[in-house]
Amino acid sequence: MNTRHLPEALGATVLLLASATLAFHGQPDLEQKWEFLAPKFEPLLAEREVYIDPAELLHLMNDDYIHLVIYDVRSESDWNEFHLVDSTLVALENLKLERDRLLSLPETAVVVVVSNDEMLATGAWKRLMAVAKPNAYILEGGLNLWLNIYGVPDEETGGHGKASLGKPDGTLRHPFKLALGDRHAAAQPDEHHLQHREYTPKVKLLKKIAKAGGCD
Amino acid sequence: MAPFDLVSLLGVTGSYFIYLAIGFAFGFILESSGFGDSRQLAAQFYFRELRVVKVMFTAIVVAMILIFWSTALGLLDYDQIWVSPTYLWPGIAGGLIMGIGFIIGGYCPGTSLVSAATLKLDGIFFLLGNITGMVIFGETAGLINTFWNSGYFGTFTLPELLHLETGIVVVLVTCLALGMFAGFEWIRGLIYGRAK
Repeated sequence: MNTRHLPEALGATVLLLASATLAFHGQPDLEQKWEFLAPKFEPLLAEREVYIDPAELLHLMNDDYIHLVIYDVRSESDWNEFHLVDSTLVALENLKLERDRLLSLPETAVVVVVSNDEMLATGAWKRLMAVAKPNAYILEGGLNLWLNIYGVPDEETGGHGKASLGKPDGTLRHPFKLALGDRHAAAQPDEHHLQHREYTPKVKLLKKIAKAGGCD
Repeated sequence: MAPFDLVSLLGVTGSYFIYLAIGFAFGFILESSGFGDSRQLAAQFYFRELRVVKVMFTAIVVAMILIFWSTALGLLDYDQIWVSPTYLWPGIAGGLIMGIGFIIGGYCPGTSLVSAATLKLDGIFFLLGNITGMVIFGETAGLINTFWNSGYFGTFTLPELLHLETGIVVVLVTCLALGMFAGFEWIRGLIYGRAK
């Protein structure tokens, strides 16, 4: 071989070896990405800093200044029975498809993940962090607790009242006679007509909102 | 894990020093590789001189390998890197316009900046033309809004197009670049004889 081309040949070999070993090694999937991110985000789960009280979610739902995104990660049958107004049904495995939407959210956006209890929502939150690291939170106690608080025992639900939250198993504890979806009274309760519920605010916006104007 | 938020890490002033250092290194390499000379740039199209094309594609391949190795090792979050969305039809039209402009003017927008930095007159005039074109486009973009937003595919990359693992695509792109270097050298040899 002509030694004049030795540096070029060496460079080409290094590039080929680096790319071939990369192909053999592969790219991390969402679970592996979560393992990389876990040291930073696991403490938020352990200290329950990202679990928000239903009253805080209700407040967010009624705050026009906040760009609220609610991901409901339950099964379609549970979703059909009851879901929150303006929530989006997304299967856990499809959360990665939300990347572009999440990355284009404004700084005033808050993402809340809901499931029947906290199990599925916590898994979804981990995936969201691996996909796009949005400003995301989890509904404390899930929709079972939400319905215990805001699910008035009216005639359409057969007076299901409060369900036992006992040991979470991922199921919807409230029976519904009709699949009302977001037409149920608890899908968008009026914050101003409910008894005030004390909670510790946990949602932090990426950008402080300057509220001005209006009559309030 | 990268990418890092430099402003929160180093403050606004500190981050400016990083930008300055990167800009200095980038400009130094571009100028020393001949990116600021329209004759050298134009020579690439006639296979007379291949330094610029080799530097450019080597940089692309090295960056690609570093990005995906860093991602594989958990040092970089690829999903946090901005990847331009694909607008196919305006992309093709823009590529054609830029290609014609490049071969006629001897510069692309970036290299005209490099050239202007050394006060080359052709680079300065090319840059002025760029700015004028940008202003005119900015004022008239509304007239071609439908076309401008046509062929939208979102963030669409080669692994998605080819339905292949990212690592395989990295190998293919590396082979493509190396094959291109060898092919261009062969063509140059055919046209101009063996390089001295």
